[in-house]
Amino acid sequence: MKKILLLLFTIVIITASVAQETFPVNGTTNKNHNTYAFTNATIVINADETIANATLLIKEGIIIGVGTKVSVPKGAVVYDLKGKSIYPALIDAYTSYGMADVKPIPRMYPGPQMESNIKGAYGWNQSIRADVEGYKLFADNVTASEEMRKMGFGAVLTFERDGIVRGSAAVVSLADGKENNLIISDRAASMLSFDKGTSNQDYPSSLMGAIALLRQTYLDASWYKSDKTKKEYNISLDAFNNLQTLPQIFETTDKLSALRADKIGDEFKTKYIIKGCGNEYQRLDDIKATNCKFIIPLNFPAAYDVEDAYDVENISLAEMKHWEMAPVNAFALEKNYIPFAITTADLKDKKEFWKNLRKAITYGLSEKQALKALTTIPAEMLNVADKIGSLKTGMIANFIITSGNLFEEKTILYENWIQGNPYKINDYNTIDVRGNYDFSYSTKNIVQLKIEGEIDKLKGTVLIDTTKTPVNITVLGNNVSISFNPKNITGTIRLSGNITTEPIKMAGKGQTPDGDWVDWSATYKSALVPVVKKDSVKKPPTFGKVIYPFCAYGKPHEDEQGFIREKIKDYKKEYDAVLIKHVTVWTNEQEGILKNQDVYITEGRIVRIADDINAPKLAFAKVIDGTGKHLTAGIIDEHSHIAIYAGVNEGTQASSAEVRIGDVVYSEDINIYRQLSGGVTAAQLLHGSANPIGGQSAIIKLRWGKSPEEMKFEKADGYIKFALGENVKQSNWGDFNTVRYPQSRMGVEQVYYDYFIRAKEYDAKQKAFGAMSDKEKVNGTPFRRDLELEALAEILNKKRFITCHSYVQSEINMLMHVGDSLGFQVNTFTHILEGYKVADKMKARNIGGSTFSDWWAYKMEVKEAIPYNASLMNQMGIVTAINSDDAEMGRRLNQEAAKSVKYGGTSEEDALKMVTLNPAKLLHIDKKVGSIKVGKDADVVLWSDNPLSIYAKVEKTIIDGIIYYDSEDDAKMRVEIQKERARIIQKMLDEKKGGTPVVKPLPKKQKLYGCDDLETDYMNAD
Amino acid sequence: MKKKYFTLIIFITTVATAQNKSVLIINGIAHLGTDSVIQNSIIGIKDGKINLVADATTAKIDKAVYDEVIDATGKSIYPGFIAPNSTLGLTEIEAVRATNDFREIGTTLPNIRSLIAYNTDSKIIPTVRTNGILMAQITPRGGLVSGTSSIVVLDGWNWEDAAYKVDDGIHINWPNLVGRKLIDEDNGTYGPYEKNKEYNRQANELKKLFDDAKAYNETDVKEEKNLRFEAMKGIFAGTQTLFIHSDKVKEIVEAVNFVKQYQLKRVALVGGKDSWMVTDLLKQNNIAVVVSRTHDLPEHPEDDIDLPYKLPYLLQKAGVQFCLNNEGGMEAAGTRNLPFLAGTAAAYGLTKEQAVKAITLSTAKILGIDKTTGSLETGKDATLFISAGDALDMRTNNVEKAFIKGKSIELDNEQKQLYLKYKNKYGLK
Repeated sequence: MKKILLLLFTIVIITASVAQETFPVNGTTNKNHNTYAFTNATIVINADETIANATLLIKEGIIIGVGTKVSVPKGAVVYDLKGKSIYPALIDAYTSYGMADVKPIPRMYPGPQMESNIKGAYGWNQSIRADVEGYKLFADNVTASEEMRKMGFGAVLTFERDGIVRGSAAVVSLADGKENNLIISDRAASMLSFDKGTSNQDYPSSLMGAIALLRQTYLDASWYKSDKTKKEYNISLDAFNNLQTLPQIFETTDKLSALRADKIGDEFKTKYIIKGCGNEYQRLDDIKATNCKFIIPLNFPAAYDVEDAYDVENISLAEMKHWEMAPVNAFALEKNYIPFAITTADLKDKKEFWKNLRKAITYGLSEKQALKALTTIPAEMLNVADKIGSLKTGMIANFIITSGNLFEEKTILYENWIQGNPYKINDYNTIDVRGNYDFSYSTKNIVQLKIEGEIDKLKGTVLIDTTKTPVNITVLGNNVSISFNPKNITGTIRLSGNITTEPIKMAGKGQTPDGDWVDWSATYKSALVPVVKKDSVKKPPTFGKVIYPFCAYGKPHEDEQGFIREKIKDYKKEYDAVLIKHVTVWTNEQEGILKNQDVYITEGRIVRIADDINAPKLAFAKVIDGTGKHLTAGIIDEHSHIAIYAGVNEGTQASSAEVRIGDVVYSEDINIYRQLSGGVTAAQLLHGSANPIGGQSAIIKLRWGKSPEEMKFEKADGYIKFALGENVKQSNWGDFNTVRYPQSRMGVEQVYYDYFIRAKEYDAKQKAFGAMSDKEKVNGTPFRRDLELEALAEILNKKRFITCHSYVQSEINMLMHVGDSLGFQVNTFTHILEGYKVADKMKARNIGGSTFSDWWAYKMEVKEAIPYNASLMNQMGIVTAINSDDAEMGRRLNQEAAKSVKYGGTSEEDALKMVTLNPAKLLHIDKKVGSIKVGKDADVVLWSDNPLSIYAKVEKTIIDGIIYYDSEDDAKMRVEIQKERARIIQKMLDEKKGGTPVVKPLPKKQKLYGCDDLETDYMNAD
Repeated sequence: MKKKYFTLIIFITTVATAQNKSVLIINGIAHLGTDSVIQNSIIGIKDGKINLVADATTAKIDKAVYDEVIDATGKSIYPGFIAPNSTLGLTEIEAVRATNDFREIGTTLPNIRSLIAYNTDSKIIPTVRTNGILMAQITPRGGLVSGTSSIVVLDGWNWEDAAYKVDDGIHINWPNLVGRKLIDEDNGTYGPYEKNKEYNRQANELKKLFDDAKAYNETDVKEEKNLRFEAMKGIFAGTQTLFIHSDKVKEIVEAVNFVKQYQLKRVALVGGKDSWMVTDLLKQNNIAVVVSRTHDLPEHPEDDIDLPYKLPYLLQKAGVQFCLNNEGGMEAAGTRNLPFLAGTAAAYGLTKEQAVKAITLSTAKILGIDKTTGSLETGKDATLFISAGDALDMRTNNVEKAFIKGKSIELDNEQKQLYLKYKNKYGLK
């Protein structure tokens, strides 16, 4: 209690001593122009420069001298810091210190909320909070500042952590007092994220929607800037423009999300500082290639309780490995020269910070880098390196006094001086009484007293005869009090006394339990013998390898050692050609099915198909015996929703043409691997079917282990998803979804007319603007780019192609008519379950169909879906494909194709084409894939049997000549996964034995997307 | 609007016409359902029963005794496939609430009977039997005790006709130890997994129901009739089967220990995705598994990628009795894929004949109807079909002739009719 009172007292003094100029004073003024000198200290100027036996001179909160030749002026307050060190106070570049908790504005009614519920001349979307200024919201928070100061921090960046555009952040000091004195830099950085935060407006409901919104905001702000008429006044866009000169900090929640942020930055010529999440080590090459600076947290996950063998099933390999490897993240970044600051953000308990930082150091992070990451690097990021982060004349007097090396566990942090104000954490004047003593009390006998423990938490034991009795000891200044209860006495003996030093002696008076006063004394005899614990000699930590992707069935990079990749390729390990011999080849070409053929693949292409090919001597070829086996082109899924991150639908508006699945390709979806095992080599990842005009799709090759960008099919045409029927009119979405237009098929038609007419006008305007001279462009009315209409204009210009989700004949007919009258053509009707009813009309327009084999009866509009649909469309000469729309069926598409043999008697060759060549045609990639032909991409599958047979299994799936799935390899990997898990489980068990708290594993299930899946909380989608 | 619905429910379903003709099927490959096959067979049908199963190469038969002789050379003959744990006839269009009759309100509903809601005129049924599925166990869903199932043949003017074994079993859903709350019912969005705090209450509710029902059914004089307890009589008497629906290993262990105390004669586990982890326990307690859909994804990313495919094999290897079912998304319409679920099991470990058994005789055994049906054996019902080829493979599954209890059934359906209608429209052959 006394301590608290003392602290309160100091606070009052401090606030008074740095009173702000313009404020009236209640009482007498208390100006302080004293100089303070800290002498004989080891001064760490910054991570690169340390001066021994030096002096630091400060006045009015500013450093006025530092070094060995500094003379202490007369009248200075001098602190002798012999044996102690001074460091610059630490900086945390990612906090919400002094910000109020963010709370959403309540929704007005159940059901959709299409508009922002912020009143005023703001922008249309509630999650664009560019107008928020952190420095205006900042209010000193004495509890939080004390917590940060105790960890050694002197200044932080603070902002309101809410929204996609979060406005500006301020650098503030962690001193207490009037905010007027605490703001170091008012608008230090601009803050961004993918998280819409408290906004309860529907849009965006997906990650890709958030990205599209941000993209359009950049464009709108730039247009707004050049528009001189200002017919529309827009506070948000104006504020957004004003943020652009600041450092831009982008919060991410995954290494792939960091890559996404960087991509947006590249589009708008902005290099973000990326607030990472701690798993950057899992894709270092790509992280490095961003050339971004990072701010990384030290939020290492807790170990799981793995004693229950069944519960362990709920922990994924990725989680296990991340638990083991999280502490190595900082080191991995350092090793790859990726600049980063360290933050206390994302820690469940801030007390973990130093423990985790030291752990990161034992995992290889250098102390030098750690210090930089907490001082000069954040200072430079935030443009305040001239004020804080190092100890130089003219800079703010933010520094800490320690007993020695900051990063050592035994080091004591004594004082944290912020803006020249002292904050005591541990008193360095406390007498260190730890040691062995000759101790006497009441009786004349001398017994042994041992005092050990922490300086502010002493523990004692007294040895009487052979009995050890614990002793309570408290030291305050020169006062000491001791109490204990020896075995032979009932009750407690209480002693008080005075400490004298050099040598230490304690003596005084005390009372026995009977109330008799006695004299006592303790004389220092010897220092403590340090106890060497058995395991105190720390072995360097060991951990598994990074696997790509970072989940089960991922593989390590062969050439990666200690987070560095050797750039030299080892040709002895890596083959560059594949030769498959004596195999039955389903060419999908005029040649048909060829028996007993050899197929030679090199440099990613099919090079030769012949009776007998010998492996060329120069290449290192893998020879596969294909006797009794079948080789087909890789399966292509025209309609897939795997490998999509955080939301498949942006169904909050009738059109979401601006969103792009390509922004959210998720390369770590296990279903990629599972589908490889079903022979799938390429897929169109489609937006869902929640609205008439959906988003832009991504065509990928299933290059398992590669990054999202590397998965994309090179130079593929752009596609967009349209949708008709029950999903877009929200028929099956419950009672509240009756607000968003359209609610009937009649409305759907009008949506198309309206959007395409606007797109036409837009296109004309854009073309006219493009034709203007630069001068005209500057002087005339600026052109506002609208990414939604632009996507539709691309359709009109035949640069983007429509895949339209469709079921019943009326609506299919409708869209064909809309297209006819507006000058566009649907490329593919997907699902198209009543395609058989309008096959003649589709054929006349050369529109393709991509359907299910036998789905029906799940909703009203599929009542007349028939399994003969594919066969009939095929007979009508329509390019017909069979798709999955389902992660499970996606790996059995060969079987689904075989159903068209059963239903409608399609030939086996044609049936296979429905999942290979035909979808390739529908996706305009048939020049490269879809058949086995010399010159085409080597995307082929080796089957154990006729590929249409239910008994056929995939043995090898090859993409670009590389084997991405191998059934033999798969069997080995299963064993390896179990081994790796077992190894980490043992480690986790040790952790629990060691007393570390562990968490109970609970199941997690990845969300599998279908067409009509909506996200309520896309940031927690997985 | 009402008119529209009205036209919807007037279905024209073809029902097998009464037929007492005796039939002899010769030279077909007979997959007996007993894990054995006769490459060149003779099968006789008389008075609704199989009166002859023999090897054509050795047996001497007087063909003239039969009214009709079918030459099945090169074709395959199977016992009618049986779809256990099915909502066929209880739902027509999943998204249209008015057509769904598989779930009643409440948690313990043993007296709910599926049979009376079974719609013989469902348009789905004719599309199912054309793939060889000739019988099904019509099963209610939901709650802790979903209700009572009945077994039907997929032919009949009404449910009375179709009924094969009335009220064959009681279905309970074992509560989950961990689960997810449905956050948004409209969109089917779930929250994160958490411990089911209600678990003990739910398990106790089941225990109380079973204790009470058992005591009630042992009492000679009943003070007042209790429909729920009455409905459970058969499971204690051994005339009904208790079907416990559960997938997770811990819950399975719990459920097995629960039923042990009642010494029930007939217990089966439905689902059993984790059943391969506790095969010894299942075997010791004589519990069969109605295996969850093989065409499914593994539960965890680490699992063997073919785990659902090979689950039947793992049970076969361990000596656990099992059969296959198709519960899951779009289950009623997807019932027609039951043969292919077996085909996949054959691709991943089972022999083809074991796979056939898993949708015929094993199913019949688990459902308690194997004395009269489930295999091509003399004396059993003549419920069987002839397929042009291997019926477990979609390439060759082509049902040309099917008999239910000796009657030849119509193999047309509305989907075939629509196909023909539009083929004619376009002048296609």
